[in-house]
Amino acid sequence: MNLNLSDEKSIYLQIGESIENDILRGILLEEERVPSTNELARAYSINPATAAKGINLLVEQGILYKKRGIGMFVASGAKQQIIAKRKNSFYDSFIVSLVEEARSLSISEDELVEMIRRAREEKK
Amino acid sequence: MEARNDMTLRCEHVSKEYGGKRVLDDVTLEIEPGRIYGLIGRNGAGKTTLLSILTAQNPASSGTVTLGGQQVWENQKMLDHLCFSRELNPQNAFGNASYKVKEYLRMAAAYYPNWDKAYAERLIGLFGLDVKKRIAKLSKGMLSMVTIIVALASRADITILDEPVAGLDIVSRERFYQLLIEDYTETGRTFIVSTHIIEEAANVFEKVIILHEGRLKLVEDTVGLVARFWAVSGREDEVDAACAGLDVHHVDRMGRGKTAYVSTEPGGDIRRCTDGHAVDIAPLSLQKLFVALCGDETAEGETK
Repeated sequence: MNLNLSDEKSIYLQIGESIENDILRGILLEEERVPSTNELARAYSINPATAAKGINLLVEQGILYKKRGIGMFVASGAKQQIIAKRKNSFYDSFIVSLVEEARSLSISEDELVEMIRRAREEKK
Repeated sequence: MEARNDMTLRCEHVSKEYGGKRVLDDVTLEIEPGRIYGLIGRNGAGKTTLLSILTAQNPASSGTVTLGGQQVWENQKMLDHLCFSRELNPQNAFGNASYKVKEYLRMAAAYYPNWDKAYAERLIGLFGLDVKKRIAKLSKGMLSMVTIIVALASRADITILDEPVAGLDIVSRERFYQLLIEDYTETGRTFIVSTHIIEEAANVFEKVIILHEGRLKLVEDTVGLVARFWAVSGREDEVDAACAGLDVHHVDRMGRGKTAYVSTEPGGDIRRCTDGHAVDIAPLSLQKLFVALCGDETAEGETK
């Protein structure tokens, strides 16, 4: 798990995202137990209540589920769900600000599309 | 240990005057059991005075302090639940400066009914503290370590640390917060920690108490508090329009530009106010919002 938390974003959101990233990268598998609130609190030196907030966020979304008396587990289908969720927010968090920045620099639509194409080529 | 639901520490309308100067002004505060509180305030805000009154080491000029509904003042039964580990002063550690560290810890062991000797020894080893040294001969860092060891090993239901990390380097500070969280996840006891080094402690505190010029400015859930403070910047007229319905705590100007440090109501949405205006919004850290809230008045001298 990535232990470098930044100050830019609420810590509980970062806890949630880092668990999601671990699921996407196969570090945490579906139907596997995730670290407990107290384990997370100790690993990151954060208040357990904050860690619980991050976990609960994922429980509300159905990415994690609770087994009474045992702990939190990764739901089956969690990986697909995270991908779908992130695709949905991709437009708002990346595309809209990309287009805004392009407009303020007077980059035309054709230029912008060309740049995206070039970036995709170079990353291949 | 008694049921923790009896362990609410209440401070009601507490004021304190020293020679006509009011250092605490009508402070009403409830410390709920099983949480870690951070106490922040500028020099002279009254932090140490408040903590010493909460633990009956210092009488209030007016107001009451109760634990589970019972007076704390001169009530040993209640005092047994409290530990206030003060900053040690090598010149005069309650007149204990000539004692060796191990003698000082032995006195703490005798005073605190839940003292955990094995834990104290583990902490001594972890910090690499030489217990044969006299308190008068300790460095600032070592003094802080003694304060921390007394606090943690006291195993008191409500443990108060006053500036525990002031003398520590960054490695020891991080270790302290790790130890604090470790102990807290095991025991769930209540901690109040005062500090000037806010940023690194912000994620440890479940709740923050801000004391300013002797008055209680706020007590709030840390996550919720940080979520409602923002820096709004842009051209002056746009910023003014965007901030019309918000509490503005501080303003920085540069040329035609302006940054306003604002807060919404708890649970409020900043974007509802700023949408449609050409402004940038950025979240504020606990440290930055503290400066925005308490930084404007002229600095006072230390009144410790």
